[in-house]
Amino acid sequence: MRRGSWPELVGTKVSAVLQLKNVHKAFAGVPALAGVDAALMDNSYVSLLGPSGSGKTTLLRVIAGFEQPDGGEILFAGRRIDGVPPHERGIGFVFQNFALFPHLSVAQNIAFGLENRAVAPVTDAKAVAARVRDMIGLVGLTGLEDRAVTQISGGQKQRVALARTLVTEPSMVLLDEPLGALDANLRTRMRGELRTIRERCGVTFLHVTGSESEALAMGDTVLVLDRGRIAQATDAGTLYSRPASADVARFLNCYNIFSGAVSGDVFESPVGRLALGGVRQASGRPAYAIRYDRVAIRPRDAAAAGDEVRIEASFVASEYSGAAINSFFTLDDGRVFEVETHLSHAAPEAFEEKARYALVWKREDALVFV
Amino acid sequence: MNASGIKLGLGLYTTLFIVFLYGPLAVLAILSFQTGPEGGPQFPIIEWSTYWYKHLFGLTPPSRIAPLPIEQALVRSLALAVMTMIVSTVLGVTAAQAFRKRFRGSGVVFYLIVLGMMVPGVLVGLGMALVANTLGVDRHWWGTAFVLHVVYTFPFAFLVMLAIFNRFDPSVEEAAWSLGVTPARTFRKITFPLIFPGVLSAMLFAFTLSYDEFSRTLFASGRDLTLPLAIYGTFSVEVHPNVFAFGVLTTLFSFALLGTYAVLMGLSVRRAKRMAIQEEA
Ligand SMILES: Nc1ncnc2c1ncn2[C@@H]1O[C@H](COP(=O)(O)OP(=O)(O)O)[C@@H](O)[C@H]1O
Ligand SMILES: [Mg+2]
Repeated sequence: MRRGSWPELVGTKVSAVLQLKNVHKAFAGVPALAGVDAALMDNSYVSLLGPSGSGKTTLLRVIAGFEQPDGGEILFAGRRIDGVPPHERGIGFVFQNFALFPHLSVAQNIAFGLENRAVAPVTDAKAVAARVRDMIGLVGLTGLEDRAVTQISGGQKQRVALARTLVTEPSMVLLDEPLGALDANLRTRMRGELRTIRERCGVTFLHVTGSESEALAMGDTVLVLDRGRIAQATDAGTLYSRPASADVARFLNCYNIFSGAVSGDVFESPVGRLALGGVRQASGRPAYAIRYDRVAIRPRDAAAAGDEVRIEASFVASEYSGAAINSFFTLDDGRVFEVETHLSHAAPEAFEEKARYALVWKREDALVFV
Repeated sequence: MNASGIKLGLGLYTTLFIVFLYGPLAVLAILSFQTGPEGGPQFPIIEWSTYWYKHLFGLTPPSRIAPLPIEQALVRSLALAVMTMIVSTVLGVTAAQAFRKRFRGSGVVFYLIVLGMMVPGVLVGLGMALVANTLGVDRHWWGTAFVLHVVYTFPFAFLVMLAIFNRFDPSVEEAAWSLGVTPARTFRKITFPLIFPGVLSAMLFAFTLSYDEFSRTLFASGRDLTLPLAIYGTFSVEVHPNVFAFGVLTTLFSFALLGTYAVLMGLSVRRAKRMAIQEEA
C-alpha cells in the first residue's frame, strides 16, 4: 500500500482516512451539497445512503476531485486535498456505468493505471503482468484476460472496474452505485464479494447506494445523506433501530411515520392521540415512527393492554417476501400503514379485505421525534 | 400512394441523382480516350486510344500541342493540402477539446471560427491580396494562400470534432485520472484512440477542401499556381482531351484516398462499436 508515503504524515497518527468539513457545492445557485461533515475510518466499509438527487454522486465527485467544492475542507490521510487535481489524490473511483476503456482488453484495462500513472509507474512488463494476474485472480476473472471489455457480462465488467482501481493500491475507493446496473441475483452475490475483496486489500470503501437494504448490509458505517447534508452517521444496527430523524426513518423504508405534535404524554397525530412511553429524540421536526415489524394485527374487538397503543384500519392486501408477509392497511385519513409479520412467529393469517382490524404496538417501541 | 409507387419514385430519384453525379465524369472519362493528337474534346470518338494519357507523361512524339503545365502545380497543391490538413486537424481537435468546457465568450469564439467557412471565398481572397499588398508581404501559395486554406478548412475539422466529443463519455477520462494518470497522458492513451475515427474524417475534409480550393487561392497564391488554377489556365487557350485524362487520374487518386480512409476507418470501427455497446450497457 502507498499509504503513509506523504512526508507530512510522518509522525502523525491518522485514524480517519477522510475528513469532510462543511463541504459546499452548488450548481447554478442550487445547492447540491449544503455543508457536509463526515469522517471515514481507515480500513472500513462505509455506505452512503440517500434518495435520488440527494447529492451522493456530487459528494463522490468532489472527493475524487472531478468537481471543485465551493467551500469547506477535504482532508485525505491528514493532507488537505481540495484543489489537488484528481490524478494526484490517490483515490480510486468505480463508476456506475463502469467507464471501462473500450479499446483495451480486460488485462490491458487492469494494467493501465500501473503502467501510466505519473507517480511510480511500473515499467517492467513482467512485474505488471504478475500484478495483473494476481488481481484477476482476486476478483475472479481468470480466463477472461484477453477478452474485449465489450464481450463480457455486466458482473464481469463490474469486476474489471474494481480490479483496475484496486491494482493501483489506493487507500480509498469511491464506488458510485456499483451494483445498480446488475440484476438482482448478481447484486446479492456481489455484495458479499465486495466485502471480502475490501477486507483482503485493507482499503476504505465509500459505497454509494440508494437502496437501504444494500446500505445496511454492506456498511460497517452508514452515512445518510439528505438534501446535501449528512443526516446520520452510525453503524447499521443503530441506524435501523434508532434513526435520528423522521426523514432518515423514511429512507429506511421500514417505518410508519405520522406527523403531528407532542402534547404532554400523547402525540397528536392525524389518526388520533397516541400515548407516549419510549424515549424522545430531538430532531427539529416532530414526528412519530413505528417500525413495520413491531406492529401486531388483532381482531377489531380485541382490547389493548395498558402499555400498548392501538389504532384501527381496514385491510387492503398482503405481499409475501420470503420469510415475511407485509400487510397493507388504510387508515381513516386514507394513508397506507404497513405491517411486517415474520413467518417464523406464526402461521400466516388470512385477513378479510376491507374488514377493519386493530393494529397494536408497545408504547416504548415507537420513536418519537420532537 | 401505394408501396410499389413509392419504390418506383425513389428508384427514379436515385437514378437521376446518379446520372447527374456521375454523368459529367463519365463523359470526361470517355472523351479522355479520344485519339490524338488530331482528336478534339467532343463526340464522336474517332478512334479509341490512350494517346492523351501518354501525352500527359510526355511519352508521345512532340506535336503542336504542348504538355499540360501542371506538374509543379500538382506538387504544390498536394503539399498545400497536406500542410492544411495537418494544421487544420490539430487546430480543430484542440479547439473542440477546449469547447468541451463552457468558457467565457465561447459563443463568440464559436461564431468567429465558423465564419471562416461562411464568408465568400472570392472576397476573402481579394481581401487577403489587399492586406498583403498594404503590408508589403509577398503572396505565395505556402504563405497567404495557406493561411486562407486553414481559415477555410479549420471550421470543418472543428465541427466534425465537436460532434465527436458530443458523443464522448468523459467518465473514461475521469477513470484514468483517478488511477493517477496525468490529463496529458490520458488524452494520448485514452481520448485520442477513441476519437480517432473523427480525426480521420476531419483530415479527409481538410485535405479535399484544400486540394481543390479555387476562389480563395485565385487572388492569394501569387505567381506560382496551384493545380485548380493551372487547369483553369489551360482552358483559356484551347481545351484538349489531355485535361480529361488528367481529370480521370486525379479522380482515381481521390478514390485511393477514400479507400485509405475506409480501411483506416474499418480498423477503428470495431473500437467504435465496442464503445457503443459499452454505452448501451
Ligand atoms: N453537473 C451538474 N450540473 C447541474 N446540476 C447538477 C449537476 N450534477 C448534479 N446536479 C444536481 O445536484 C443535485 C444532486 O445530484 P447528484 O449528486 O447526482 O444526486 P444523487 O447521485 O444522489 O442522485 C441534483 O439536484 C442534480 O440535479
Ligand atoms: Mg448518482
